[in-house]
Amino acid sequence: MVETVIELKGVEKTFRDFWMRPLAQAVRGLDLEVRRGDVFGLIGPNGSGKSTTIKMVLGLIRPTRGTVRLFGLDPRAKAARTRLGYLPELSHLHPFLTAEETVLYYAGLSGMKRAAARARTAELLEELKLSHVRRRTVGGFSKGMARRVAIAAALVASPELLILDEPTSGLDPIGTREVKELVGRLAAGGMTVLLTSHQLFDVQDICNRVAVVSAGRQVGGGVVADIVAAARDKRHALEEYFEERLNAQKDEQ
Amino acid sequence: MGRFLAITRTAAIETMSQPLSAILFPVAMLAVHLLPALQYHRFGAPGRLARETGLSALFVFGLLFAVPAAARAIGRELETGTAAAALALGVSRPLYLSARIAGVLSVFALFFVGVFSATALSSFSCAKAAEIFTAEGVTRVWGPAFAVGVSGALMAFAGAAFLNRFMNRRFCMWTCLLATGLQLPGLALLESAEPVAAALPAFGALAAAGGVYVVMAGALATRLKDNGVAACVVAAVAAGFLSPVRCLVPDMRAFWLAEGDMSATMPIAAGLCLMALWLLVGCVSLERKELE
Repeated sequence: MVETVIELKGVEKTFRDFWMRPLAQAVRGLDLEVRRGDVFGLIGPNGSGKSTTIKMVLGLIRPTRGTVRLFGLDPRAKAARTRLGYLPELSHLHPFLTAEETVLYYAGLSGMKRAAARARTAELLEELKLSHVRRRTVGGFSKGMARRVAIAAALVASPELLILDEPTSGLDPIGTREVKELVGRLAAGGMTVLLTSHQLFDVQDICNRVAVVSAGRQVGGGVVADIVAAARDKRHALEEYFEERLNAQKDEQ
Repeated sequence: MGRFLAITRTAAIETMSQPLSAILFPVAMLAVHLLPALQYHRFGAPGRLARETGLSALFVFGLLFAVPAAARAIGRELETGTAAAALALGVSRPLYLSARIAGVLSVFALFFVGVFSATALSSFSCAKAAEIFTAEGVTRVWGPAFAVGVSGALMAFAGAAFLNRFMNRRFCMWTCLLATGLQLPGLALLESAEPVAAALPAFGALAAAGGVYVVMAGALATRLKDNGVAACVVAAVAAGFLSPVRCLVPDMRAFWLAEGDMSATMPIAAGLCLMALWLLVGCVSLERKELE
């Protein structure tokens, strides 16, 4: 039986103001299951609750209702969180640290030993084509370079689960292709990946399963190969499916 | 422990890398040397003048760089999501907050060492200044200790610029380190600078009070923006001078411009208790905060 890495059951999240009055219901009764070895795409329009869902999985915010399990544990449990790597939507790195120090810092946070951290950092900087700028402070980096440093930081502890929030945001076409290839290699090596993206071509290329969320609800999802097989235009299969599911939801409303 | 040190080190580097720190470190050292020299002929009592200039510099310049640094070290991290990236990796929130504040406090401690050394040097140079009587009055000739102190503060910029240009080191951070390091000869003169050695408890007590404001700023930054934190800390300092809420802020009247023979045990103990209290407030606040 395949292990469930992330499990959400009936999850709801309502944000409240200072007086505890409800401001917005970001997630409404979401059920989700990510199994070991999946490259799972969470797709949806802006404000659909993708980032809120990811933050609940990471234990950064608590669900108002329902349960979230990470490796079968509470997401706030240290034992669960030490097994994951996380790339936030915006790569806000410490501007005064060099690329090498940044990756070493995250290695330190993951509890890696100094020698192992150094070796892994050198390996990742090489793989992400950052070796030549490893001694430069990241404050002066372009958005794409900063994104690659953040990806290296997310991967430094060789996590079992990698959570990527808009991984190709800010990258040029070549950088995007390289990240897709990297995710493909990681998945082939057995890593579980949960990612969000607005680039549906990329999601179609690298994910094996997807969930479509809109206004905090899951409105579709399934195995990418099945969605492509059922589509008229194979190249735009996921885009077609995405639009169809959103239109169906609007009709229901 | 490794995680704590990684976060502390990063916070310390960030604090020293701020241009404000790079300006205030040497300027504070310079003020400690120049103010007694400029005011000497008016007040006399050079040892006391040097000592109290040192205490003022420690408190005023120290808070000017450390309070914004503490607010930034926590508030900006929470706002930009950098904290979320660290907390997502299994770092507990209390450990994160404590380590970030410890990073800023370690730089404040470095500043304390620098200012105290500069004060010892300044006190020594005041005591050794030669008086030459001329027809126009008394002219004071300052000795080599004064030259060492003043040039040390100025050389910090030059040294840091050299290290930045030829060895690619961080300019601001090395300005802070050199500004402190070049005042250390003052510690060797501590025996000769008797009034400063006796004032060590007052320096310790004032540093403890400064530490409280730094921790308070870090704790408040879990909920407030930079300006809000600054306003609260200014109000707390004023409360300490005027009508202290003793259980929340240090009683500044107890040791501000203190006499050399004061006992520092109680103020330091009270300062440590208040730091622990504000750290607890910050930990509870961060623990309950939703990192949206």
